[in-house]
Amino acid sequence: MNSLTNRFSTTGPLSELKRAQALVENEEFSDSAWGSEAGFGSLAKGVPNFTVPSVPDPSAFLRLHTDDHADPNCRIKIQHGTTTLAFRFQGGVIVAVDSRATAGSYVASGTVKKVIEINPYLLGTMAGGAADCQYWETYLGIHCRLHELRNHERISVSAASKYLSNLVYSYKGMGLSMGTMICGWDKTGPAVFYVDSDGTRLKGDLFSVGSGSTFAYGVLDQGYRWDLTDEEAQELGRRSIYCCRTPRCLLWLTLEDGWKFIGNYDISKLHYDGPGETPGAGYGYDVRIERSTAAPVAVQA
Amino acid sequence: MSIMEYNGGSVVAMVGKDCVAIASDLRLGNQALGISSNFQKIFPVTDRIFLGLPGLATDVTTLRETFRFRVNMYTIKEEREIEPETFAHLVSSTLYEPTGGFRPFIAATDLIGCLNFAKDFVVAGTASTKLYGTAEGLWEPDLDPEQLFETISQTMLNAVDRDAYSGWGVVVHVIEKDKVTTRTLKGRMD
Amino acid sequence: MPDMVALSRQQPQERQFNPYSENGGTILAISGADFSVIAGDTRQSEGYSIQTRYAPKVFRLTDKAVLAVNGFAADGNMFVKQVRQRLEWYRHAHAKDMPLRAIARLIQTMLYARRFFPYYVYNILGGIEDDGSGAVYSFDPVGSYERESCRAAGAAQSLVQPFLDNQIYFKNQVPQPGMTHPKHLPLGTVGDGLEMFVVLAKGSPLYGLENFDGVQEMTSTHEGERIFVVRRNLKRD
Repeated sequence: MNSLTNRFSTTGPLSELKRAQALVENEEFSDSAWGSEAGFGSLAKGVPNFTVPSVPDPSAFLRLHTDDHADPNCRIKIQHGTTTLAFRFQGGVIVAVDSRATAGSYVASGTVKKVIEINPYLLGTMAGGAADCQYWETYLGIHCRLHELRNHERISVSAASKYLSNLVYSYKGMGLSMGTMICGWDKTGPAVFYVDSDGTRLKGDLFSVGSGSTFAYGVLDQGYRWDLTDEEAQELGRRSIYCCRTPRCLLWLTLEDGWKFIGNYDISKLHYDGPGETPGAGYGYDVRIERSTAAPVAVQA
Repeated sequence: MSIMEYNGGSVVAMVGKDCVAIASDLRLGNQALGISSNFQKIFPVTDRIFLGLPGLATDVTTLRETFRFRVNMYTIKEEREIEPETFAHLVSSTLYEPTGGFRPFIAATDLIGCLNFAKDFVVAGTASTKLYGTAEGLWEPDLDPEQLFETISQTMLNAVDRDAYSGWGVVVHVIEKDKVTTRTLKGRMD
Repeated sequence: MPDMVALSRQQPQERQFNPYSENGGTILAISGADFSVIAGDTRQSEGYSIQTRYAPKVFRLTDKAVLAVNGFAADGNMFVKQVRQRLEWYRHAHAKDMPLRAIARLIQTMLYARRFFPYYVYNILGGIEDDGSGAVYSFDPVGSYERESCRAAGAAQSLVQPFLDNQIYFKNQVPQPGMTHPKHLPLGTVGDGLEMFVVLAKGSPLYGLENFDGVQEMTSTHEGERIFVVRRNLKRD
């Protein structure tokens, strides 16, 4: 009896000692890590395992060192700054994302892949903390596969997005930052769900997430219809990302038999020449102005 | 946020053999939001002096007029054109940025007017660290005007592509004893 | 006695906890068709003072993987130690070295395990993939990663990276009509570093590497992938 109370009591010297031991010992790996689990990082026990600093307010500690919005001189810079969009239409789901990552004024990368291919039927977009999105959407992929194995059918987009939403909600207030759209095709047809680290989960036809989302919505809203053709829908995706001035635009289309990658477009080329091979058919404001002033001259001649 | 990052913009100047070059980007922004891709930051002062003013756009416009006024007053008073070095000191005392002039001469000041007379290149603006890197790698002594143009263009284009607050086209002036060549380069539009 | 229990139950009081420091330095990696080069300087500094002129930040992990760490040296060294431990466990369990892309994913999960108490470390992993191609993976401090062909990180990142964009990716360069830029640079033009690791794919030629100054081979066999290290003296200023 005594040993039982000792084991489960949360007060008293023994539990103090246990708590201290837990802090001192590196509890990250179990003995099984000596076996085939050695390659699984923090997932060695099947569930993620996190180290938290032993301070009264861990999320304040994290904010102090990583929040570059509040303090641009903070040491640990987590990648930010994004435009992602996804919309449902009669032909499926278009997913379009930019490719830029900035740290202050420095363009850290122009080739970031902000779509995570969760499995051949599900796509997740990436806005906010890059690592948060990459890690949790990969983790979601594990569980989507387990769902398939357990139930002999693919997970619905709704269930997958709810899984992610509940997952990040359990870390609410800890400092995670992600705004993502889970896109796919299930028994209900094409589906888009918005999930963020605050715990929001929304079903909808059209979403845009990230610092450039206001610009993207401007283009998206004026061009969006349910009955867009595939070609029109792709063009709308490209133009919406173009307005956010990223180096490249990546485009996916989700269909009944899984997603397919449409293309990787150079925005500078879209600006000057447009998506085709006709020079002067560009999206750029000055490029179009040049054309319209040149046109009357051509008529006179 | 630094005051330089409000509108963005960068300038670089380089020395060649009997020539100098000065280049700037063409972007005017409101921080990350691009406003114009045709904003002049390099101004001719005399036939052989060019002044590059990256920084807060309102100060760029104001200072440009201030310098026009002072240089005109100098010309009237002295009855001769101002020398590049004299002008650099005038800039320094009025507090601001880089110049390209003749007897291959370039100089830069920081925001509060500390002068830097360089023998190779000077940089200023939001892309300055990136410009230092590319210029250090690409520049070599005694480049002729065409080589200098290529060097300064590559320096500028590649530096501004890694800077979120500069870019959207580049203008390059190559100044020789008897002529100035100005070229506008098509840059990345992101 | 009751007083002592009350005392021990008190939570520690602290005003500020700052376990991080910045130790300067720059790392860089470039990959080619069948090789990968990972370089770093060897100075370790804090503020204006140099702590040591020889503290390597580029580490050999396996015969075909090299990891460069930059940021807070203590975190970096500890992290490399733990990665090496996990790789050794993997070797014992599977009787082979972990493939490069798996090491990259391992590093992600290990970094992300510290999402709420991050390592202040920027990692660049270079090496040879299972298909024999050279590869570079770059990481942020909490584990977001991407495969690239060249990447610089650290104090001089913003000076070095645009230069590499120009010279390695041929950014803003237009080839002569009828010509194309080479898809992969030959090793000889890739360069020099204060401490530079070169990983060559199985059966790859030496590209004149044997004539480099201060080169030393790290691998004992010539059969598999080969790793060379080139060491140079740091400018003593």
